[in-house]
Amino acid sequence: MDVYRMAVLGLVMGVAFGFALEKGRVFEPGVILGQMQFRTFTMLKMFLAAVVTGLVVLAALNGLWGVKLHPKATELGAEIVGGSLLGIGIVLAGACPGTLFAQIGAGYRDAWFALAGGLAGAVAFGYAEPALRPLISGGPGKLTLDALLGLPFWAVALTLAAVLTAGLYALERARPWRADLGPEADGLRE
Amino acid sequence: MSQTRTDAHGLAPTCPVRQGGDALRRRAWSPYAAGILIGLLQVPAFLLVNTALGASSSFVTLGGHIAAWFDPGAMDTAYFAAHAAGAKNWWQVALVIGIGIGAFASARFSGTRRGAVAPVWRRAVGISGFAPRAAMAFAGGFVLLFGARLANGCTSGHGVSGLAQLAVSSMVAVAAMFAAGIAAAMLMRRV
Repeated sequence: MDVYRMAVLGLVMGVAFGFALEKGRVFEPGVILGQMQFRTFTMLKMFLAAVVTGLVVLAALNGLWGVKLHPKATELGAEIVGGSLLGIGIVLAGACPGTLFAQIGAGYRDAWFALAGGLAGAVAFGYAEPALRPLISGGPGKLTLDALLGLPFWAVALTLAAVLTAGLYALERARPWRADLGPEADGLRE
Repeated sequence: MSQTRTDAHGLAPTCPVRQGGDALRRRAWSPYAAGILIGLLQVPAFLLVNTALGASSSFVTLGGHIAAWFDPGAMDTAYFAAHAAGAKNWWQVALVIGIGIGAFASARFSGTRRGAVAPVWRRAVGISGFAPRAAMAFAGGFVLLFGARLANGCTSGHGVSGLAQLAVSSMVAVAAMFAAGIAAAMLMRRV
């Protein structure tokens, strides 16, 4: 597909993505911060529902039709340090890189500054990457749980999907989602 | 179903979670419905784009082109050059722009209006003015994307997509993300 058709496809998929983020309320800073403070569980529920769906979908695509997967290479230092910075950034920005755009669309004006900061952060990393590369690379490659266990991807994926679904069922019993959203659907109680 | 009454903050006072009626006009969907829809987007991502859902590398594509306005040598950097062109990179840029449009449409359909700054910030960190919150958001965005690019993925690429592919790298990144996020959030007031 050429770049223009690909851009149109991206736009259409993005609209669906943004719609789901807004309706699911996970773009709200109060919902994201509330998850990290264990006050509300909307973000975890939505996140795990997306993971479970992805596991089932990819088990089918890969297991039945051999569609190639794209797991990222294991570089433990980069993932621990980078993941930690990502978590701190989520709390300060009140957003993830994707939900930031949903905040802009929904009308939060401070999110434009988070976007500017994000572009600056990505550019800073681009310039720092040659110096950081020796510290990052040299990991064990594309490790996946199914390969480590020596089992087919679809079997491990469907097992994990079942375990996560049971966990979500228990979580929903303990914390019904409607009560978690709060009266203004922004993760704040009052 | 449209909401006409709003309070001083421009927020509708009615119960946010209405049941039945038109799904597009509803203010909130169950997080499970929303999550399943996002998970299903992996089908066109893998079959048509030959990649997994992700968001953070689009910042390198856009940021690299912006950097090239100021620094003509920016595209000599291998990292910027790798993200500058090609269908997959522009697909992801279009994806994040689409996220903004989709959220805008969704909020419009439900009549949900949002102020300049979410009320959680005044409660959690005592910030009430726009300028200090804008500065915090900029700093947060910087750390967010520096971290995501260092980890080679964000909540979408490592989280939603990486875990669904059983990638060990993503399990480590997501664990670090939640651990540091929880630690940072616990330093703020619980509201």
